[in-house]
Amino acid sequence: MLHLSERAADKPKAFMWGASLLSLLVIALVVIPVLRPQALPFLQPLQIDTDPENMLDTEEPVRKLHNAMREEFTLNDIVVVGVVNNEHPQGVFNVQSLNNIYELTTFAQSLQWEEDGENVGVVAIDMIAPSTVDSIQQAGLGTVRFEWLMASPPTTETEALAIAEQAQRLPFLEGTLISEDRRAVALYIPITSKNVSYQVATELKRKVAEFSGDDQFHITGLPVAQDQFGVEMFVQMAISAPLAMLLILALMWLFFRHLNLVISPMVVALFSVTLTMGLLIITGNTVHIMSSMIPIFIMPIAVLDAVHILSDFFDRYPETRDRRKTITLVMEELSRPMLFTTLTTSVGFGSLALTPIPPVQVFGLFVGLGVILAWLLTITLIPAYIMLMSEESLQGFGLASSEAGIKSHPSLLTRLLHGVGQFTANQGKLILSVTLLLGLGAWYGITKIQINDNPVKWFNENHEIRVADRALNERFAGTYMAYLALQPESAEFNLADYVADLQTRVDALSPGVASQISALLTDASATPNDKANLIEALREAAFERQDATETDADWDAWDEAILMLDNELLAGEVFKRPDVLHYIERLQQHLLDTALVGKSNALPDIIKTVHRELLLGEAEEFRIPDSQAAVAQTLITYESSHRPQDLWHFVTPDYRKTNLWIQLKSGDNIDMNALVDSVNNWLADNPAPVELRHDWFGLTYINVIWQQKMVSGMLNAFLGSFVIVLALMSLLFRSFWWGLLSMIPLTMTIAVTYGIIGLIGKDYDMPVAVLSSLSLGLAVDYAIHFLARARELRGRYASWQETLCAVFEEPARAITRNIVVIGCGFLPLLAAPLVPYKTVGMFISTILLLAGAATLLILPALMTLFQHRLFPEPEEVKA
Amino acid sequence: MKKLLLVIAGLVSLQTAAAIEVDEVVAKANHAAYYQGKDGKARVQMTIVDAQGRERSRNFTILRLDVQDEVDGAQKMYVYFNRPADVNKTAFMVWKKLEGDDDRWLYLPALDLVKRIASSDERTSFVGSHFFYEDVSGRVPTEDRHVLVEETDNYYVVESTPLNADQVEFATYKNWIHKQTFLPVRTEFYNDNGQAYRTYEALKVEDIGGYQTVTESRMSDSRIGGHTTMGYSDVQYDMDLAEDLFTERYLRNPPRRYLR
Repeated sequence: MLHLSERAADKPKAFMWGASLLSLLVIALVVIPVLRPQALPFLQPLQIDTDPENMLDTEEPVRKLHNAMREEFTLNDIVVVGVVNNEHPQGVFNVQSLNNIYELTTFAQSLQWEEDGENVGVVAIDMIAPSTVDSIQQAGLGTVRFEWLMASPPTTETEALAIAEQAQRLPFLEGTLISEDRRAVALYIPITSKNVSYQVATELKRKVAEFSGDDQFHITGLPVAQDQFGVEMFVQMAISAPLAMLLILALMWLFFRHLNLVISPMVVALFSVTLTMGLLIITGNTVHIMSSMIPIFIMPIAVLDAVHILSDFFDRYPETRDRRKTITLVMEELSRPMLFTTLTTSVGFGSLALTPIPPVQVFGLFVGLGVILAWLLTITLIPAYIMLMSEESLQGFGLASSEAGIKSHPSLLTRLLHGVGQFTANQGKLILSVTLLLGLGAWYGITKIQINDNPVKWFNENHEIRVADRALNERFAGTYMAYLALQPESAEFNLADYVADLQTRVDALSPGVASQISALLTDASATPNDKANLIEALREAAFERQDATETDADWDAWDEAILMLDNELLAGEVFKRPDVLHYIERLQQHLLDTALVGKSNALPDIIKTVHRELLLGEAEEFRIPDSQAAVAQTLITYESSHRPQDLWHFVTPDYRKTNLWIQLKSGDNIDMNALVDSVNNWLADNPAPVELRHDWFGLTYINVIWQQKMVSGMLNAFLGSFVIVLALMSLLFRSFWWGLLSMIPLTMTIAVTYGIIGLIGKDYDMPVAVLSSLSLGLAVDYAIHFLARARELRGRYASWQETLCAVFEEPARAITRNIVVIGCGFLPLLAAPLVPYKTVGMFISTILLLAGAATLLILPALMTLFQHRLFPEPEEVKA
Repeated sequence: MKKLLLVIAGLVSLQTAAAIEVDEVVAKANHAAYYQGKDGKARVQMTIVDAQGRERSRNFTILRLDVQDEVDGAQKMYVYFNRPADVNKTAFMVWKKLEGDDDRWLYLPALDLVKRIASSDERTSFVGSHFFYEDVSGRVPTEDRHVLVEETDNYYVVESTPLNADQVEFATYKNWIHKQTFLPVRTEFYNDNGQAYRTYEALKVEDIGGYQTVTESRMSDSRIGGHTTMGYSDVQYDMDLAEDLFTERYLRNPPRRYLR
């Protein structure tokens, strides 16, 4: 590899041109398919993917189930629009607000357009708004009335108030459409797919801007948050990343005082990022929330090696004043540690390919690749760049501008590091005790770590999506949707048992018919059969005999028999059974009791409401009727409304699967998880009248699943790469003890970082999980440089004490400069509007600071303490 | 000048002639679809297929009687459910009026309940199918303004626009009326954007006792997807049904003689 640097130093122009052309080619391959999709048919244009659902493989069972269930119950993703009025005494139920709402609803219903030959946009028929839902109410003695809740906007305040009163009588709407205090109305706007939510939300905002009055409009819902994130992700990449680069540049200038020279690491970083992202896109990978962070991860790593070279060059150049010679000297010293830091970093990120989460795999692989690219570019372009500068331009460059200056006028940094070196040599035991205490503290912190995530919280506290989220969840049952599907476990069918059971019902028929059917039953059950076929055979025979009857009485008797047989087939419709419906009612009550659920909507709610209104609207008739037939007849009444199709969101037409729509006020995974556990326990403790299996689905639940996979996947990936890096280190130093030593700063860094996360109560979320890999990659870098240089220097000096002093010269300076440059360079991310980027910025800084401190303090202290084991009897070797 | 006036008068009279004609087409179509014979009976097999292809079926018998004081005027109707078994004996009765809201009753045997249903809105689902209540009872022709938009060899194509647009979900609808039988064999309902979203088709027409009768029809609705077919069997006309069959008393005690 040294050879490569030499070649680059000898032919600098060729290398610079080569890298530039390569980058341009990659850029062209990315840009052309975007501008002219047909020009290069083998390349896919850039694709953005902001859907957290894609954190799971498309073949993942929970995702397949989610999609199958959504199709089965015709459920769409929902944009929620909240309208709040805090000024009017009647809240939002005043003439003007309701007119606005009516207009907005009509506008939303019209939001459809064509995309690739398909109609996309709002699913108007399923919208929930005052003018699109049915109301059922009493209309005089013995009369019920079905009509739109708000067929037309009200013209008087009294009419407006009447709408609120009517809506609050309907459990389905209370807390969902209308808030308890009547200050707010929520419109639920289903959309054909999540991808259109940003467009729909933008159109709605445009419409809302036309309204006058005191109404506040809030637009939210997971799909909007996700689409919004995608848009802001790019703003973020365009602002924060360049800002970080600029700051890094400024800091490097502060250290090296040579603008032209410090541009070189920037060039390397830019080329590395361009090539990596270009390759990512050209290979047809989507730019996902994860892969959008690749530049931010590659930049510090790319700059890291360059800073090592420049730092060494800066310190040594004054000795020779010869660029070419200094480069050879610097590269001789650094090429080995740099190769190994690159390999370890690459392994750290590459290990993410072992996680079960596709976007994380892509992220890991491409950062791993980017690290190797950055290294290749660093060891060639930095020497080439230096050679392209004239010797004159380096006038006055270097640690000491005078030949004799090194020892006589040490800089502040040099003096500080001397002090640190002395301290580690003298206070080794103190350092190690403090380290041990920190380790214990970190362990305590780690046990406090709370695993949690919520895509809505990826936005800043004051972002309009967070504001909407709070405003609506304060007033309504919740904007986070989860679904719980129930269906009977398919029990083993036993013909003999069933026939015996059926016989009792046959015996109850009129005697003449009963005896004939008994005979038929005996015949039919002689051969193996399933229930449907058995009943069908009996029905056919019964119809034949009914046709042959002569008197009305006989005909009626057979009619009864046929009815009984038909009822047998309906027995499979378990979700019409009163006992099963009562069970669901109890389950719904349990959901409320958990305090995690704002409200659940399910089949019993519909049945109870219709039943109450059929029976004079009396409160005590708000119940499940007593027989399956009564349930069926209540339902057929409901089906004679404007929206019979609403029923099929809650039950399949064969009444063999039901679905509970659960509204949560919080989308935090920790809350969803608690709900899942609580419901699972309840279901285990409370057996249903028929054995039921349950399945969770919905975006809030999907988020929990990918998080679980993320946490366990990250832990495995981290442990795996820890072992590989340890093996690599042992190989590099040809000693297990040296290998182990090099792992100590990184272990401490990670322990303390995650300890802090636990102690300050920051949730362990997606970016935090990924940072463990970055820690592994960066923290081990400093240790490799420190140890490799220390070992190399040990050969030149008689004692470890002298060696230590030398290590705290140039090598320590290089490490410190790195810590400052990169640590501070990423602070601009703290100004980001997106929390994951903020987290990354914050923790990169922390990790670098800790890893630097751990390397410069713990390693020398340990090496002093164990110098005889680490440097076995050098005198003897010499002798 | 005189000539010009004559031309204008001629145009006016032409227009009037056309207006009379379209109303006549509509009136005849209304009669053919809902008023054949003085009374009638049919067994109906209804199959509801949703967007996912899932099927449900309902079996019921319809009895119909025209109130004799006006031509194609008020009617009484009785719908008696047989299947699914759990809605057996559920019954539905309508007194259709040309002016004002119809009177409707519902009998739910399992709840032992007779209910009057008040509704000024006739465009609600007929027992969960793609048909609306109004498709079964018949929309009163005077509720719309009709224009003959096309005449082909076989059909009059009439476009109808509601006089009171607030009460219906459609903007217009078009009827393809068969020239010989005057049966509407296709109806398309359009939304504000001019897109057809709901379609009725007569799939089968039979001569029953001299009356041309639709014996299979289908309604589909692209907003929810799927369709409903109704198959008519055992169709009879002029059975001399007694008017007192269509009273609340018979809801609980169905006239078995006619329902067998």
